[in-house]
Amino acid sequence: MVMVMNLAVEVNNLRKVYEVHKRRGFFAREKTEVVSVDSVSFTVPEGQALAFVGPNGAGKSTTIRMLTGILTPTSGDARVLGFTPWKDRSKMAFQIGAVFGQRSQLWYHLPAGDTFDLLAKIYNLNPVEYRKRRNELVERFELGPLLDVPVRKLSLGQRMRAEVAASLLHKPRLLMLDEPTIGLDINARHQLRELIRDWNRNEGLTVFLTSHDTGDIESVAERVIIINHGRLILDDTVDNLRNRKEFAGMSLEDALAHIYGLEHDDSLDDVKKEALIV
Amino acid sequence: MFDKLKNYLALAAAYVRFNVKSQLEYRTAFISQAVAMFINDCAWLAYFIMLFDRFPIVRGWHAPDVATLWAVTAAGFGIGHCLFGNSLALARIITNGELDTWLLYPRALLPHVVLGRMNASSFGDAVFGYVVYFLIVRPDLPHMVLFTSLTFSVALLFLGFSVLTGSLSFYVGNGESLSEGWRNALIAFSTYPTELFDGKVKLLLFTLIPAAFVSGFPVEALQKMSLLHAAYSLGGALTMVTVAVFVFHHGLKRYESGNMVALRG
Amino acid sequence: MSFLKKYWAIAWIAGKSNLAYAGEVGSRMFFLTVILYIFMCLWKTTFANAGATNFAGYTPRDIIWYLAFAECIMMSSPRVTPLIDEDVRTGSIAVQLVRPLSYPLYRLASNFGEQVVKFAVTAVAAFLIALLFAGVPENFVTGFLFALLVLPFAFVLDFLGYLLVGLCAFWFEDTTGLALIYSRLTMIAGGMLLPLELFPEQFQVVLRSLPFAYIVNGPARLFVHPDAEALGMVLVNQIVWIAILGLAAAAVFKKALNRIALNGG
Repeated sequence: MVMVMNLAVEVNNLRKVYEVHKRRGFFAREKTEVVSVDSVSFTVPEGQALAFVGPNGAGKSTTIRMLTGILTPTSGDARVLGFTPWKDRSKMAFQIGAVFGQRSQLWYHLPAGDTFDLLAKIYNLNPVEYRKRRNELVERFELGPLLDVPVRKLSLGQRMRAEVAASLLHKPRLLMLDEPTIGLDINARHQLRELIRDWNRNEGLTVFLTSHDTGDIESVAERVIIINHGRLILDDTVDNLRNRKEFAGMSLEDALAHIYGLEHDDSLDDVKKEALIV
Repeated sequence: MFDKLKNYLALAAAYVRFNVKSQLEYRTAFISQAVAMFINDCAWLAYFIMLFDRFPIVRGWHAPDVATLWAVTAAGFGIGHCLFGNSLALARIITNGELDTWLLYPRALLPHVVLGRMNASSFGDAVFGYVVYFLIVRPDLPHMVLFTSLTFSVALLFLGFSVLTGSLSFYVGNGESLSEGWRNALIAFSTYPTELFDGKVKLLLFTLIPAAFVSGFPVEALQKMSLLHAAYSLGGALTMVTVAVFVFHHGLKRYESGNMVALRG
Repeated sequence: MSFLKKYWAIAWIAGKSNLAYAGEVGSRMFFLTVILYIFMCLWKTTFANAGATNFAGYTPRDIIWYLAFAECIMMSSPRVTPLIDEDVRTGSIAVQLVRPLSYPLYRLASNFGEQVVKFAVTAVAAFLIALLFAGVPENFVTGFLFALLVLPFAFVLDFLGYLLVGLCAFWFEDTTGLALIYSRLTMIAGGMLLPLELFPEQFQVVLRSLPFAYIVNGPARLFVHPDAEALGMVLVNQIVWIAILGLAAAAVFKKALNRIALNGG
């Protein structure tokens, strides 16, 4: 694919170290450093759908939090739509949308429609355009009858659809999704994946997705990046990964488990690990 | 600059409407919490009036003075925390990493967060303050005007104080009990006449536990109709807000999206 | 007695897990220092202004020690109402019913364990602060022993009040307001800030016929003024009130269970 591509995300040697206090006995505390993200570099061209995966504690959420400007990295650099997230957080926020599966941005006790109206104010949307956009999203996400129901009464699948629609109200160019399908049933998962993929293919929305669900990866993403222990260990297209001969006959799930396992396997030398990265 | 201010005021108005709506969703809870706080305040006031009536605690202090003290403190606390309800919960919001959601919006973080929620019981405090001042002190118009302005100055101070103490959660692991203990200390000192305390502790009341600006100066301003004392109170409030904004933004750089990081994938 | 062992184990775990909240302890100590200091100042001036050496037998030193002890009771009172409220609201009270435990006794045991530990930790600090502010108390050993005799009953009585409030969640949308009012009643009508003996006569008669006096005033008064006759009175009143509130709680609980059976939780 040779095209002039703008980069939506550009990450250079990004690193995040946490200081963790451990309690030792009643009073004593011990300070240790935990490297959550260790010199990660990659780029995402605009319009691509990327799955960012890895086992629990691999540093996925930390990375996505740095890219959304929530966390400041210990060192390294990142550009998201031309902004440095932790410095230009406010300006960047107009152009990105974010859905964190475990944190809702919808007000629990009010109907989603009310949150939409408030978001229009927060993002300074022009009332006419906002209404047009909202109607479009309501139709595409099939939210019509749900708009006036308090969020607490929605099913999880309905809520997540509303969540994603809410994050698209201000026409972001990049959508970050952190485990959006967590806890959803099969139908709701299918529906949400389809919506995200449609928006990516038809509207050119760049999608940056973390998930533990290989179904999400296969149906939404073109490319997959795997990190473990804070390090990037694989970066390839989803098709290539599936067609690799060492994974022949394996499901994507088994292939991923195999790759995570290799990381733990000390007998594997660095050369072989390097070989995994294209 | 002016446009920006207008824009933020519009946002604030949108939030207040929104918050009222969300409180009305559970109106019984809202009303019962506000009413309970109102009754609670009345019980304290009755007790204090009885105490000051029975014992010569401060010479020349009678029921109206005690009522003024309670009215200005409660109304200030109530206004500050009712409209900016999240300021009371700031320590928890920071510790649990709930700041994440707010950081994703294209808005100045601090005003946006504190506006995000209303506090029902504080509403009861605010109503109590005004009712008590009106019924027990029976003010004339100038007193009422001064009282109203002072409650907003005190509200500003409480808001700043809550932001400041809440921001300590950026620095210490779980600052929730610290900020609560500190706030309770301020409230405790604010509900007694400043005259009771001697030299060294008085210094504390102008700094770390700024009760002098909550009840000390405002009560004196109202007793003597002194604009100078009112100005002191406002000065204290503005200083507090400035310090709080500074500490919040300094701390924000250390924000680690909560201690729950380890629990997430 | 495997029956008792079970509840003893619950109390033990609840107590132990509360040792971990060192931060909260620190914050409570801080607040305690503030309150005791304020009272020291208040009574110092009051005694000086009145030119008296005691009020109703309370010297300034007695009052500080009384307050220190009363505060320990109040501060160690666990916030059990929100837990019960939540168990009712989420229907997990129905899940508790499957276990071979009585729900109210389970809550009582866990509450008791928590309060004992909290009280012990608070008391050590409170006594140090009181010693600093007011000097060595008279009759410390006898007073402490007398108070220890009635304290467990005070804890149970206090718990029963909160249990009743928490069970109201079956009928009310929100119990935080009720819990607030109940806790204020214990503070004011129970005589936390001011020994009941210092209230006007007619108030004393009313307050002594309410249960709150035997949660706070009873033990705290025996602590500063140990007296065998008073000890008997406090015990009798406590046991009568425990019987009354216990029966009430059992009746309410039974009624509530019927509601679950009808509505399916």
